[in-house]
Amino acid sequence: MNETVTLEIKNVGQIKDASLTFGDLTVFVGPQATGKSIALQLLKLAIDAGQVQDEMGRYGLDWSGRLPDFLDAYFGEGMHAIWTDKSSIDWQGRAMDLEQIARRKRKAKDENLFFIPAQRVLTLRDGWPRPFTDYTPGDPFAVREFSEKLRVLVEKELGSASLFPQVRRLKREFRNLLERDVFSKYALKIDKVRSQKRLVLGTEIEGENLPYMVWSAGQREFVPLLLGFYWLMPPTKVSRRSQIEWVVLEELEMGLHPRAISVVLLLVFELVVRGYRVCLSTHSSQVLDALWALKHLSENGGTAKALLDVFDAPKTPPMLKLAQDMMSKVRKAYYFDKGTGVVHDISALEPSAEEDGEAGWGGLSEFSGRASAAVASAVANVNRQPSK
Amino acid sequence: MKFQQATESTPGLEEAYRIGLQALRAEDKPHINAANTRSLRGSVDIDAAFQTIEPHANRWDFAIAYKHTNRDDECVYWVEMHTAADSEVKVVIKKAMWLRNWLKNTGKLLADFECDIVWVSSGATSFTLSAPQQKQMAQVGLQHRGSVLRIPDKRGG
Repeated sequence: MNETVTLEIKNVGQIKDASLTFGDLTVFVGPQATGKSIALQLLKLAIDAGQVQDEMGRYGLDWSGRLPDFLDAYFGEGMHAIWTDKSSIDWQGRAMDLEQIARRKRKAKDENLFFIPAQRVLTLRDGWPRPFTDYTPGDPFAVREFSEKLRVLVEKELGSASLFPQVRRLKREFRNLLERDVFSKYALKIDKVRSQKRLVLGTEIEGENLPYMVWSAGQREFVPLLLGFYWLMPPTKVSRRSQIEWVVLEELEMGLHPRAISVVLLLVFELVVRGYRVCLSTHSSQVLDALWALKHLSENGGTAKALLDVFDAPKTPPMLKLAQDMMSKVRKAYYFDKGTGVVHDISALEPSAEEDGEAGWGGLSEFSGRASAAVASAVANVNRQPSK
Repeated sequence: MKFQQATESTPGLEEAYRIGLQALRAEDKPHINAANTRSLRGSVDIDAAFQTIEPHANRWDFAIAYKHTNRDDECVYWVEMHTAADSEVKVVIKKAMWLRNWLKNTGKLLADFECDIVWVSSGATSFTLSAPQQKQMAQVGLQHRGSVLRIPDKRGG
């Protein structure tokens, strides 16, 4: 990892106190409405304020220099309430003045952070990515921006009729895993009904296509994510897209079976190994299981093969290299505590930690743990004849 | 019946009762954290007591009795101090099965106490149980409690 990157957030929305240090891969966990998405969107703003202002201006959003209007335009309608007199943000140890960001136009610059929002399924309508202007002004910037990126990617960059499998974007191993665990025998294609283009899943029978509305929920969730990965993995010799250094991926598990989540996690590893700093939010214990395995395999001389076993992935030379490279990457995990509003560093992922938040991995393993404890207690006492 | 009396009336444990945590080895005591040490009602080294009687059995380690403030009777914590490792799950399950079988037959008097059967990690723990392992253990009444068994003043449930 190149440098230590820190973000401190105090009294913003549900977050009372968060001191975040980012790794090559950083994971946020915690119950609903604890501020994970706010923290990720603030990270985007800290890195890309100029680009955000530029994009919002380009599409006719006007906040008249007022912070509440800027916050509503950026986070979404009504979200200005997250910022109060007590709110503060420090980026890399320096105070970030949101009033000033809202007031004064920053110098435009290239985008450094690519944001894949949790609402990504909404970015396709009738099987085609919606343009930025197709949304209402109250919709979050992150969703509109991602949607616009997909539109540009599909309309101008991908070009070919077949989007998956596509040889130049993903390693053969990833294509095979996605075929096995997401697409089955279907191919993702661009189809045309009269003059209207749309994405369809093509069957083995020529001309027989499945339109967007009959895809499985998981396929509808996954296609925008796949296109996001395509955006980040250009089909050239360079491993990253232009100036993009950071990737935010919200709730990677949405709609996916655990086997498909494993493939997405490997794709995330691919991004990290390509040199992106990746930040995830998740409600899947599988993500922290993977982080835990990585930590202990790398600390205990575990092999790349062992790591690939975790993911049921093929042990080919490119995948072994990916796993080996991933072992040395810096990983961080944070738990957003609903009760206190404090964000805890749980990177040690110690299941016997004194802090419940760490031991229960931010609540992700609580239910399973409680189920086992309840059954164990009942079984242990089954033959008891309590004294009267 | 009290834990002490039940222990002293159980074949094989007649001389095994100790006050407080005195039945535990010195190295095992830091792994037990009782909210109130005055509420400890004694302990027994099961493993040592049955070493000669059942030398080849998967014997259990200890029993610790505690009087919770929200219970009329004493509760018993059946504690196995054991290395935390995936490979040991089956071994500790066998021990728990031995314990439950023993409670059903020889240790009937002690089986009447409300109890937990707990595995406490004896070394540094870098260990988490998979969901299937947790369920296998739960089915024999066994719980893993990390490297320290915390006995609260009020018992849950």
